[in-house]
Amino acid sequence: MNLKPIFFGALMATTSIVPALAQANTDITVVLSEELDLVEPCMATRSNIGRVIMQNISETLTELDVRGDKGLTGRLAESWEDLGDGTWQFKLRQNVKFSDGSDFDANDVKHSFGRVFSDQITCESKRYFADTQLTLDVVDPHTINIKAEPAQPILPLLMSLVTIVPSETPVEFVREPIGTGPYAMTDWTAGQQIVLERRDDYWGELPAVTKATYVFRSEPAVRAAMVETGEADIAPQITELEATNPETDFTYPNSETVYLRIDQTVEPMGDIRVRKALNAAIDREAFIGTVLAEGTELATAMTPPTTLGWNPDLKPHAFDPEQAKAWLAEAEADGVNVKAPVEVIARTENFPHVAEVGEALVQMLNDVGFNASLRMVEVAEHEQYYSKPYPEGRPAQLVVAQHDNSRGDPVFSMYFKYHSQGTQSGVNDPKADELIEAATAATGEERAARWSELFAYVHDEIVADALLFHMVGHSRVGERLDFKPTIATNQQLQLSEIGFK
Amino acid sequence: MIKMIGQRAIASILSLLVLMVLVFFLSRLTGDPAVLFLPIDATEQMKEEFRRLHGLDLPIIQQFWHYIVDLTQLDFGDSLRKARPALDVVLEAYAWTLPLALITMSLVVVAAIVLGSLAAFNVGGFFDRLVSIISLIGASAPDFWIAIVAIVVFSIGLGWVPTSGVGTPWHWILPIAVLFIRPFGLVVQVVRGSMLSALSSLYVKTARAKGVKNTRLIFVHTLRNGMLPVITVIGDQAAAMLNGAVIVETIFGFPGIGKLMIDSILQRDFNVVLAAIMITALAIFVMNILIDIAYSVLDPRIRN
Repeated sequence: MNLKPIFFGALMATTSIVPALAQANTDITVVLSEELDLVEPCMATRSNIGRVIMQNISETLTELDVRGDKGLTGRLAESWEDLGDGTWQFKLRQNVKFSDGSDFDANDVKHSFGRVFSDQITCESKRYFADTQLTLDVVDPHTINIKAEPAQPILPLLMSLVTIVPSETPVEFVREPIGTGPYAMTDWTAGQQIVLERRDDYWGELPAVTKATYVFRSEPAVRAAMVETGEADIAPQITELEATNPETDFTYPNSETVYLRIDQTVEPMGDIRVRKALNAAIDREAFIGTVLAEGTELATAMTPPTTLGWNPDLKPHAFDPEQAKAWLAEAEADGVNVKAPVEVIARTENFPHVAEVGEALVQMLNDVGFNASLRMVEVAEHEQYYSKPYPEGRPAQLVVAQHDNSRGDPVFSMYFKYHSQGTQSGVNDPKADELIEAATAATGEERAARWSELFAYVHDEIVADALLFHMVGHSRVGERLDFKPTIATNQQLQLSEIGFK
Repeated sequence: MIKMIGQRAIASILSLLVLMVLVFFLSRLTGDPAVLFLPIDATEQMKEEFRRLHGLDLPIIQQFWHYIVDLTQLDFGDSLRKARPALDVVLEAYAWTLPLALITMSLVVVAAIVLGSLAAFNVGGFFDRLVSIISLIGASAPDFWIAIVAIVVFSIGLGWVPTSGVGTPWHWILPIAVLFIRPFGLVVQVVRGSMLSALSSLYVKTARAKGVKNTRLIFVHTLRNGMLPVITVIGDQAAAMLNGAVIVETIFGFPGIGKLMIDSILQRDFNVVLAAIMITALAIFVMNILIDIAYSVLDPRIRN
């Protein structure tokens, strides 16, 4: 029997299948790196969840404009006013409906915050409020007063982190999120896909995308291939290796900062000359275009340049091995044990080529006289070294860490990283504490100036850590789309920002 | 035979019980799930609330007691990360792994037995050499590389099949093809070796002398005697597939048990880990019993 015709017939049939899988018209497919465990609005500040939910299904009272220069703008709140004494009044948008048809009002806002702060559910956005106590007072259906204790000058900015759900939402994780956003979830097939469809009764301008299907592939080469073959339209995270097509691939700052956290309480890191030597030993430029992607920027602050108060006057520590050796010799002459073992601790898969970065750092440190070694650990073990309480009896440790702040204000970073009480702080400096507290309490231009002063202090005066790089991300966007990724794409992917060519 | 199956079943149940205790305590040694579930700057209060909500603040013995009581009702508890019953999560993944494993192993068995037997019959010939080379390549080629190359060639280059996913039967072609290669390589070599030994037996020479046709000689007289070692290898390969095909699942976005298990271990999602291991162990025990039955069917000495 001649099987040739059957075989080739089958092959021809398959060729007609693949184009059929591609999306048509205004429907798009987004391929993400990890599946969502939850589709819970109060977890939307977690990046993998936020990319699907934030401002697509669920909206917030305020929103940070990362595309333009409008700063903080209203979303579900039309305006807000500082009433003094830590109280802010928010005027809410009218004629807004949730996707279940119910009306949005101030009671929904109150309930949403009640859920976030409830001890019956572990909501991620709670962390941004730390020890701040909020009291919500409904003035009328479209006005709500929110009092923060202690007073919180960036309360309107914090409102951009809490998604609003209807008052009927139970205080437990939901699987069918209801929001006021331009899209509603119509399908969630675990392990396969999530589908959002545009709501025609959305209060704002209708977005161009009518339907978005999210699929999940953990291998970046496959994500890139899916856009190339037309199976998907956007792959927000691919690697530099795949980002080879200038027509479809974008490289952009992704709000991640890589640094070496120095624990100053363990010898020899308590000595500022040793910390300066450490910084001078690192040839930061050598990493870019070799083990790190082109476009990576040298960091002078824990937060990216788009953050309030970022200080343009700061310059990266110069690579000067001879000066580093001189500082170490000076410290040794004064009795500092500069030969004490130093562990460089890095997390596997923290960012592309993290192991190579760790190896190179160790080599550079040892070249000037440090006694450094590298330890690669997995995420849970890394957390033990990165966050307090630090292990007892530890040697000097330099933790390679990556920190993300696309929220626009350094308050989400500086307390945790530099205050003596900060969870990941290796600093115990009263002046740094004072500056952080002053900047946190300040508003307007004074706030920017205070943060700027703090950035200079930790970078130049106390050399608190070894700031290394502002990282870049790579995305592949299908040629039929009119969309450019931004610094916020790590955290959210607003479908309403996507157009068609 | 029923007695033998009964003994096997009792031994399997005892093993499951031991596994149940071991997995519970060993998984607790791996760390605190609150650290991984919550963001790095979560407050200590948030971590304590998380532990309280999931009963992780209780003494370990008390947690074990709750676990045993729940297990008697087939309740593995909720997934810490997915906030729904762990058993549902695992069974959903199995619904993908089982057909993938069944289809692939069926193809492996048929292809390996036919090609291995024919190669053994034509030992030293062109066909034998070709099968040997293909099987050696199959047994030693890395899954990851094959999968990526297959996507580049058949999806991007030729556009014949989708790159990944599970939406249509076309989506299954590449995962099955990639998963097929390694066990096929191993099993075909075992079939060939086993058949070579069987074909040199006196009863085969007698059958040849009596003029029995080649196909009947291979597939009726010899194969049954050459199958015992083959069944052992097939059992091993099938067990590996029931544990999930992590690489294939990862690359092709196949929502099976292998990736779920690895992710759950990394995320300290204890309840899912426990449910996955218990269900996998159960599946492997059932398969071992089936293999024992196959042995006894093929070899009357075992049956008696």
